Amino acid sequence: MNQHPSLSAAALVAVLEQSEITHVMGIPDNTSAPVFDLLAAHETIQLVTVTREGEAFAIASGVWLGGGRPFVIVQNTGLLESGDAIRGTAARMGVPLPILVTGRGYTKMVRAGLGPGVDLDRDLVTRADVDSVALHTEPTLDAWGIPFERADAETDLRLLEATIARARAEERPVVLLLAQPLTGP
Amino acid sequence: MMTTAELLEPLAKRRTDEVVVTTMSTVRPWGHLSDHDLDFASADSAMGHAADLALGIALARPDRKVICLNGDGSMLMTLGTLATIVGSGAENLILFVVDNGSFEITGNQPTAGAGYTDFAAFARAAGFGQVYYFDQGGEYASALDGVLNAKGPVFVHVRVRSGSEGPISRSAEEEARYLKTSLADWSRGFRSAL
Repeated sequence: MNQHPSLSAAALVAVLEQSEITHVMGIPDNTSAPVFDLLAAHETIQLVTVTREGEAFAIASGVWLGGGRPFVIVQNTGLLESGDAIRGTAARMGVPLPILVTGRGYTKMVRAGLGPGVDLDRDLVTRADVDSVALHTEPTLDAWGIPFERADAETDLRLLEATIARARAEERPVVLLLAQPLTGP
Repeated sequence: MMTTAELLEPLAKRRTDEVVVTTMSTVRPWGHLSDHDLDFASADSAMGHAADLALGIALARPDRKVICLNGDGSMLMTLGTLATIVGSGAENLILFVVDNGSFEITGNQPTAGAGYTDFAAFARAAGFGQVYYFDQGGEYASALDGVLNAKGPVFVHVRVRSGSEGPISRSAEEEARYLKTSLADWSRGFRSAL
């Protein structure tokens, strides 16, 4: 028996339940869609699907103001759109906000032999075989001062638990960046 | 057209234990009328997200009415929030758009579509069941009890004259108590009070 289950959608939702998350805000992508499907009619966790990702961080901050325990799920494209919302609400207010960011473009980045630390020059960000959002994600989180861990192929659920625990201990937004597909529904 | 005072004074008189979220040109005027632990200024925060903050509070505390005094410029930045509010099922949220047609705190530069943007129509199209429009103070004051007691989410478009509120800061020199502390400190106190 695997003592540390991998990142399937069902196991992820189980961690949210164990962590007493009350509300999940976000927009699904192909990776997170099974999680949204599981949360759509969940008994204890209310799913709030937003129209643009920046909303999610402000709504989550309001949920925390109201005594709830929020969680945000967005793709890295939406994360980049959300800069001032994260800065001005969750970060500025000191909200313990765990965030799952699904990482579009990581497979292409690895296939191209690239990593997050490369120089983002014009030739690189315009290459057809590279999705530039993966290149921009981690430098942006660094620039915003938001702590994060990247979940790669061998990562198990302990990293999600640690992300939630860190956000709560440090009273700030903390990101788990999912650079791999979920392992199952 | 109404003044901001004609909007806020009747509301302050009727307010009991509702949460009130303000932003931009209503932050200081509301702070002069109210000194309540459940006032929350979306100031020194994120532009355009007051309604989102209010929605989050409403979802976490469905037993408590939440009133948001949003601006027209702020609402235009996040019109999608109207759909999110309806989709969330929050029945305890009353969203005002205080429409002065301008960015008042930067000197009243006109907002996009100022004067002809129909916010009430936006709200109806998004699915709000209770939508009100006021541009006369007497009519508004007479209807206010009904607005506050309606099953939400409620949307209230109020046309007001531009005023002369300047930039908002958080500092000990501010008169309103909810601006005297940092956003983080007020948030903690608010959360405890709620």
